[in-house]
Amino acid sequence: MINIKLKQNIEYLTSLFLSVFAALFIGALIMMINGQNPMVGYKALVVGAFGTKYKIATTFAKTVPLILTGFATAISFMSGIFNIGGEGQLYLGAFAAAYIGFTFTNLPVFVAVILAILASALVGGLYAYFPGVLKVKYNIDEVITTIMLNSVAILFTTYLVNYPFQATQGKMGGTDMIGLSYKFTKLVKLSKLNTSIFYTAIIAIVMYYIIKKTSFGYNFKMVGENSIFSRYAGLANKKYMIRAMVISGALCGIAGCFEVYGVHYRFLQNISKGYAFDGMLVALIVRNNPLGIIFMSLFFAMLKTGSISMEVATGIPSELMLVIQSIIILFIAGEQGFKNIFKKFRANRRKLVK
Amino acid sequence: MFEDVFNLTLLQNTIRTATPLVLAALGGLLTMHAGILNIGMEGMILIGAFFGVLGSYFFSSSLMGVLLAVLSGTLIGLLFGVFTIELKSDEFIIGIAINIFAGGLTVFLLRSIFGVKGAFSSPDIMPLPDVHLPLIDKIPFLDTIFNNHSLFVYISWILVLVVYVFLYKTPYGYWLRAAGEHPESLENVGVSPKKMKYLSAILCGIFCGLAGAHLSLGYLTLFTENMSAGKGFIALAAIIFGGSNPIKTFGAALLFGFFDALGIRLQGVGIPSQFTQMIPYLATVFALFVVAQRKLKLKGR
Amino acid sequence: MAQKIIELKNVTKRFPGVLANDDVSLHVNKAEIYAVVGENGAGKSTLMKTMYGLHAPTEGEVYIKGKKVEHFSPSTAIKNGVGMVHQHFMLVPSFTIAENIVLGSEPRDKKIFVDKEKANEIVRNLSKTYGLEVDPTVRIEEVSVGIQQRVEILKTLYKGADILILDEPTAVLTPQETEDLFKVIKKLVNELEKTVIIITHKLNEVIAISDRVGVMRQGKLVGEVKTSEVTEKKLAEMMVGREVLFEELSRDEIKGEVLIKAENIVAKDNRGFDGLKGVSFEIKAGEILGVAGIEGNGQTELIEVLSGMRELKSGNIYINNQSTTGFTPKKIRDLGVAHIPEDRLVMGLSKESSITDNMLMGSQHNEKFSSKGIHLKRNVIVDHAKDLIRKFDVRTASEEVTVGSLSGGNMQKVVIAREFSFDTPILLISQPTRGVDIGAIEFIHDQIIKKRNEGCAILLISAELDEIFRLSDRMITLYEGEITGEFKNGEISKNDIGYYMTGNRKESK
Repeated sequence: MINIKLKQNIEYLTSLFLSVFAALFIGALIMMINGQNPMVGYKALVVGAFGTKYKIATTFAKTVPLILTGFATAISFMSGIFNIGGEGQLYLGAFAAAYIGFTFTNLPVFVAVILAILASALVGGLYAYFPGVLKVKYNIDEVITTIMLNSVAILFTTYLVNYPFQATQGKMGGTDMIGLSYKFTKLVKLSKLNTSIFYTAIIAIVMYYIIKKTSFGYNFKMVGENSIFSRYAGLANKKYMIRAMVISGALCGIAGCFEVYGVHYRFLQNISKGYAFDGMLVALIVRNNPLGIIFMSLFFAMLKTGSISMEVATGIPSELMLVIQSIIILFIAGEQGFKNIFKKFRANRRKLVK
Repeated sequence: MFEDVFNLTLLQNTIRTATPLVLAALGGLLTMHAGILNIGMEGMILIGAFFGVLGSYFFSSSLMGVLLAVLSGTLIGLLFGVFTIELKSDEFIIGIAINIFAGGLTVFLLRSIFGVKGAFSSPDIMPLPDVHLPLIDKIPFLDTIFNNHSLFVYISWILVLVVYVFLYKTPYGYWLRAAGEHPESLENVGVSPKKMKYLSAILCGIFCGLAGAHLSLGYLTLFTENMSAGKGFIALAAIIFGGSNPIKTFGAALLFGFFDALGIRLQGVGIPSQFTQMIPYLATVFALFVVAQRKLKLKGR
Repeated sequence: MAQKIIELKNVTKRFPGVLANDDVSLHVNKAEIYAVVGENGAGKSTLMKTMYGLHAPTEGEVYIKGKKVEHFSPSTAIKNGVGMVHQHFMLVPSFTIAENIVLGSEPRDKKIFVDKEKANEIVRNLSKTYGLEVDPTVRIEEVSVGIQQRVEILKTLYKGADILILDEPTAVLTPQETEDLFKVIKKLVNELEKTVIIITHKLNEVIAISDRVGVMRQGKLVGEVKTSEVTEKKLAEMMVGREVLFEELSRDEIKGEVLIKAENIVAKDNRGFDGLKGVSFEIKAGEILGVAGIEGNGQTELIEVLSGMRELKSGNIYINNQSTTGFTPKKIRDLGVAHIPEDRLVMGLSKESSITDNMLMGSQHNEKFSSKGIHLKRNVIVDHAKDLIRKFDVRTASEEVTVGSLSGGNMQKVVIAREFSFDTPILLISQPTRGVDIGAIEFIHDQIIKKRNEGCAILLISAELDEIFRLSDRMITLYEGEITGEFKNGEISKNDIGYYMTGNRKESK
């Protein structure tokens, strides 16, 4: 028997590389129109992301929220329930973790950290649970409810940090600092890279294991592909959808916790710059593949760090990378359609020849 | 203090803040009727806002600003259409992509064309004209609320009626709704549902472009990063709250505009505005819940 | 001599791998009711679609009103006065009846507005002219299926059709609605000189309404007769073809214990009406109970309620002496039930998954395939899939192929392989050979017989009488959600059972 899986993977990787290449090409065109040399630009980008120890550290630091929200997206999307509310879950999770950190400042470090992670997962998971229930019980579109709940969560935490939990001194729009000893250790001086990358690695391995190697991962996938079939075959499909939603929310919450404990040491009202949406793009591009999420997160992180150095070196605004990222996703989303049109075109041509 | 918040100016502000919501929602409800959930309105508004400023600044004409906003809206609507209709991509993936694309593109252009970060403002940007209505200026109460608004405020009111008539009184409106609800039946009588879906996507782009132009050329003349600030999502909320009906959606947009204006004024007197700002979103979830329960009851009949 | 309004000359239609219509020549006269009958897959629908221009024939010619059709498209057909009422209605639920009827060619007011009043007026006039009563201002979603069908007919008449093609028009109607429809058809033909072509497999209806009948079998037109000169029995013979040879099932008295017992079960159909109205039966170990009936008479509801996919409204089901009221499909499976659903793509498979993953479904928590029910043993799973592929002769390049890319027959084999591999004492089987080629049919039948001989209690639902007669020990006929007769195999002929399938009741002994 020929190895079909390999063939499918190669086919997918080909279109992925084509999409990335095409997007980078469009990026190069934009640079040229802008009067810059794309080769210089892209070289500055790569050097900017990986050129020094500090830069490598910065790039890796940026993968943390991407990987977590990427897996969050993957688990929900593969189960056929679409959590677009990651951003809100992240904010609430971050606040919950910060609350533990600035309220109980004298706990043993590992107790505090575990408490914070649990609290953020719980709050994020709970905030995803509601739209999940609305979906399976009342058939209310979870895409819309989670989008709406994003804004609610962001507004709510903004209120919290500006009124009841406003920092006693210093920063506006932020809470008090978490206990000093709770801060995650920095791995490279001055960079943002900290021990949360290890925790993230553990979570990624666990998620990989669940999705790829266990019956639960299989069940999530089957429920997502055909929920009538999975109910027929004996799965509690609604429960699985809600579970997927809760896991997804919990991961986003934890991403928020890591931002607080690893980077800012307090909750800030603009703590996430759309991390959950970036993570969503990552997962969408690699079609929820666990290994893909890790590599694509790294690629996105490279674009993010590299583009800032590129801007310094060449003057090309770093936002070009956002444009490139969204073009990649457009191409990947349109892949099947492109393929169909290409097939039709080929079929037509064959007809003409005959 | 109560009078500081609840006065005629609040109502005047309501009209002002509601207008971009009204314009975007009108566009979004057209795609909604054609069977496409468009969550990319946020990005479409942003693009309109940027190109509005661009046109107005370079041609020293607000009309050119509007033209460029409409043109950019048409293109982005077409892009949305090509992917969701032609390539049958998932509409909300494309919506998210458009939002991110717009965020990146506008800031990129802001910096490469105007060389500034964050915001661009210049006396050379021509604002949209204000309109003074002659008759009601005699009535102080109405004059404060309804008069001397920016041009698009009045245009948006007219457009509400136009969209209503278009959807429910003209054949195109019938076809557009049929394309969303039961495309096979439309195809079966020889009208292409695809064309109607394209029409809705492009019109949505144009309406969002107008909403953006109003933001950047209406009362203030400037472009700032991410200046759509969630208006696309509130517009979506208004559409859902208004059941995709133009009149009801207009009502919902005014209501949401009111809470927005109220929030700003509350903040002015030191009261947290976040809760009033939450109302549109919570109201939408609640409205969906009520509708869903009614449906469940009907099913159990 | 009657005027030929439609004529087909040597029409052949080939789809990749299928010969749907094979050299069909027929004609329909003006102002007559022409019925086309045949079993599922006999090529009736393909033929009608050719007439309506939905596709062009591979070979042959079509003449409408004496004119040869050059360009096949629905709009040409409409121009030629041909209208079609599809089995699935083409109506916009939130539009009113009038809005649906005029959709696409609305009466205008000042050129740009739809003149609603005029549309209502037009519909009222059409209603009056044709005796098809409807309220033009009511929304489609608020009216019954019977009215919706009237709207479909009015739609074709509004577009000027004088030849109406009705595809299985009574499949979704109640007996009363059917009667009304027939009155309308007769009026259209007798008083207004319209021509009606009706596709159906309900023979009693053919006898009741048509002037002439064309019988199709395996893509060919095997006979064309005047209705007044045939009987239902004769038509059935023509439809089925040769006499069927019985398999040598051992017909001894079955002494196994009762594994399935249904007592007065009632269940709703998808429209919210009672699809099953008090059905009772028993199935013993080692016995196949065949359910014969025209589709849509409660078969779907029956198998779904037994398997837990549909809620039981009242009555009792006992499986292995255990009442299953309120049980999920999972709990029912745990009682020793496997289920081959009627629509494999909707319920029986995940198209996007590989054969391996489809074969695993239902046993993923089994210790054999996952340690502690969690960690999947991929090697064992793949070997299991390969084993089943071999045993059930699934034709595929690899076990990693997605199921969606297999042929219908091979997909069905995947479902059967999986469900049979559970080795359950009870099997619920619906339409096991639908869309399956002849070689695979033999194979699937053999597998079912093997299961019976191993002592399984089997419920078999099929629209193919051949299949029911070949496999069943006993059979029941289902009509309108009720059992109209129960027979031992050999007690009744295939032609006679049709009598009970169409609503006549067997006198109780």
